[in-house]
Amino acid sequence: MKQLLYLLCIISQFSLIAQNTISGKVTDTKNNPILGANVYLDGTYDGTSTNEKGEFSFTTSEKGTQTLVISFVSFETFIKTANVISLKNLKIKLRDDVNSLDAVVINAGTFEAGEKAKVTVLKPLDIVTTASALGDVMGALQTLPGTSTVDEDGRLFVRGGEAEETQIFIDGIRVFTPYTPSSNNIPSRGRFSPFLFKGIAFSTGGYSAEYGQALSSLLQLNTIDEPVEEKTDLSFMTLGLGVGNTQIWDNNSFSINTSYINLAPYQEAFPDRNTYKKPVQSLNGEMVFRHKFKNQSLLKMYGAFSYTDFDVIQDDINYEDGFRFGLKNRNLYFNTSYKNKFGNNWRLETGFSFTNDHSNIKIIEDVVTDNENSMHFKVKLKKSFSNQFKISFGSEYFLTDFDEDYTTDTNQQYTYGFNNNIFASFVETDIFFSKNLAVKIGIRAENSELLNEFTLSPRTSIAYKVNKNAQFSLAYGQFYQNPKNEYLKFNHNFKAENTSHLIANYQHTKQGQIFRIEAYFKDYKNLVKYNDNYAVYTSNFNNNGEGYAKGFDVFWRQNGKIKNTDYWVSYSYLDAEREYKNYPTTATPNFASKHNLSVVAKHWVENWKSQIGFSYNFASGRTYTNPNEIGFLNNKTKNYKSLSLNWAYLIDQQKILYFSASNVLGTQNVFGYNYKNTAESNGNFNRQAIIPSADRFFFVGFFWTISDNKKTNQLDNL
Amino acid sequence: MKKSILLIVLLFTVLISAQTKYQTGMQKAFDLWEQGNMTEASQLFERISKAEPTKWMPSYYVATIETITSFGLKDETVLKSKLTKAQEFLDVAKINSENNPEILVAQAFLNLAYIAFDGQKYGMTLSGQNNQLYAKALQIEPESPRVILAQAEWNIGASKFFGKSTAPYCSEIERAIELSKKEKIEIEFYPKFMLKRAEAVLKQCKE
Repeated sequence: MKQLLYLLCIISQFSLIAQNTISGKVTDTKNNPILGANVYLDGTYDGTSTNEKGEFSFTTSEKGTQTLVISFVSFETFIKTANVISLKNLKIKLRDDVNSLDAVVINAGTFEAGEKAKVTVLKPLDIVTTASALGDVMGALQTLPGTSTVDEDGRLFVRGGEAEETQIFIDGIRVFTPYTPSSNNIPSRGRFSPFLFKGIAFSTGGYSAEYGQALSSLLQLNTIDEPVEEKTDLSFMTLGLGVGNTQIWDNNSFSINTSYINLAPYQEAFPDRNTYKKPVQSLNGEMVFRHKFKNQSLLKMYGAFSYTDFDVIQDDINYEDGFRFGLKNRNLYFNTSYKNKFGNNWRLETGFSFTNDHSNIKIIEDVVTDNENSMHFKVKLKKSFSNQFKISFGSEYFLTDFDEDYTTDTNQQYTYGFNNNIFASFVETDIFFSKNLAVKIGIRAENSELLNEFTLSPRTSIAYKVNKNAQFSLAYGQFYQNPKNEYLKFNHNFKAENTSHLIANYQHTKQGQIFRIEAYFKDYKNLVKYNDNYAVYTSNFNNNGEGYAKGFDVFWRQNGKIKNTDYWVSYSYLDAEREYKNYPTTATPNFASKHNLSVVAKHWVENWKSQIGFSYNFASGRTYTNPNEIGFLNNKTKNYKSLSLNWAYLIDQQKILYFSASNVLGTQNVFGYNYKNTAESNGNFNRQAIIPSADRFFFVGFFWTISDNKKTNQLDNL
Repeated sequence: MKKSILLIVLLFTVLISAQTKYQTGMQKAFDLWEQGNMTEASQLFERISKAEPTKWMPSYYVATIETITSFGLKDETVLKSKLTKAQEFLDVAKINSENNPEILVAQAFLNLAYIAFDGQKYGMTLSGQNNQLYAKALQIEPESPRVILAQAEWNIGASKFFGKSTAPYCSEIERAIELSKKEKIEIEFYPKFMLKRAEAVLKQCKE
């Protein structure tokens, strides 16, 4: 019996020793051996790493059908299920993982900011530490190429397009009224505080079929998914006060930011060129609620309220007592979005937004009341068939209900408005032929109820990676947008305005530096024309306008090569002409300056605990019409120059003192000229320069964060 | 009787071999680690984690090794792919052991690797997260010498940056060393307190 037991033990030992050898060689698709790949039988301890020749060999006591797994960073994992006996002298080629970080990126036309972006041109902190931006997202984006400096307006003018040609989206959902209202020659700002957002994608053309109703440009802002800590922020500024708070509980979080701005004390200390009957005051509140479900799906609800009022008299050559403009605006915006992954690599994104914008405007003695209600619904599905092939498709519906009441000084009343409802669907596919070659093809269909028009916009882009650091991209697309509210309120018999974009891009990136150059051609068709000095109720409108814009943009950014210094340079060359509005002939519009240059630099001074920065903006002269000479838009202003400085001092971990000054050199910039309607007796028209309301602007703020761990500060808010 | 002995022997053999498989595997991985074969150690932990999908420690160690070896890297692509891998394994560990202070500290360590690489880009969002992670770990296990040491190191870094005294944290390190001597770890292969490192940091702190 003992012998039997002994024998049994031996056999059982032996069976453990009776092993199979698994061996083979791992290479990439070009037969280069891969060193250090992890080779193992799934669910067992048996495995090894490949050697310098890419070879591996290990023994296993496993029997029958097993799964061999070979994995290595930036390659697709290889899986083979077979009988262990057959797993010998294998020749395995690993395929490049097209999702890996060094793969090609389809990026013609797009700048991305944020941690997730493969190539970042702007960091989240840049928005708040760029001297000329004054904490405004739009201000920071104006230091990127493709934008024109239109300092008296403040909105984004991209590649020879008007400001309305740029659409703004929060979490994929449209924002209908993104800018705060302001009077003539006073720049408006974005309504949104930059620190609720974690990522920004700014596209200056050639964007995806997912987005429509934008002729020139697209700005996508993504709110933070999960705030990291509970805290209270207090801000004391020369312009007003701010309070913010974040709460986190279970899978929920809630952030609120409010601010009250009143320019009265500032204007008392530094009077500008305008006479304020009521200085600008505004009250803003924003809140975000986020809930993460058990299945990792995410619900975000964003709400913003703002109220602005002012009453100002501005000098005007045509009005002896000045031009009076008063405004009361309230704006409510609500946006909710939901993201979920389900089934076999499906992804669902859906959302809804609602805007109510109400303005009471006083223009000299006339009174205008505007009321706009807009909504956007969107559903998008994305299916990933493999790493090489993905499809996304979806539908959306835009509703805009705009009404205007106009009461003249003689008490005549006019009421008009429109319902602009648009249904759109899109489908798009991403194909990666290899890690170096990718294509995106999409098409978008839109149906406008108001214009009774159906449009189809094909979009496509291709990117090819030449080597580790460099790649080329090309993009082409058709873009349609309904005429702006200013025209739709008077006339509905329109077609959608149209452009096509053709873009070629070269990008070279290295650690800490990026260089890109992009050339483009835009062809505009069906632009709105009218016959009066201004578009009015009685104007005759048509769609016969056209134009083009062509040029190139250059961007260079380097970080750390000069110690503690980060800088970027943007240059844009723009050649744009249009025949639209009431233009008698083809001409370069007033907002399109030929050369735009921005230089932004930031330097951290360790000993002073300070970040010191400057930004310099240059724009060549802008066109204006001089009625004393023959022609239309026949003259150019002098060049625009502005140097801004900023200084952030960290008093301690929770207190920051911030100082900034714009146009420190006090350059007298001129945006254009306003000519008198009637000529003098000698036949000459007198003129008045359109200039900023103040040459310089100063800002001082103290920011204090109160949180449990006493380590965070609002440097990210500045 | 004889049959039952046989049965017991057989059963015992099976049991032992099942247990030792994990033990020998883990031990071998630690040996590789000690010899400096980081890649192989990490890959062995990776295999163990795939074979033992309910255990948190193998994936915890994969994440830890990938994080350690990413410090000092110059190429962002390599750094990101290593840390993405570390994050995947840390997420597996989190599912297998919820609210584990060791994993919370490992997450803070992973974040630190990003911050150390590019403070401007990652510091703003991740440093707040780290404060929160240490606070949470300490709440769960207020006497853990590893958590106390990690938090003290993090705070010393911040204080140095702001030119503040690091003195309050020196005593924390001393306390961590004391606690580590009293601590009894009963779970095999549980993360150990790194006394040498603690002593080195303490020495630096007092300077």
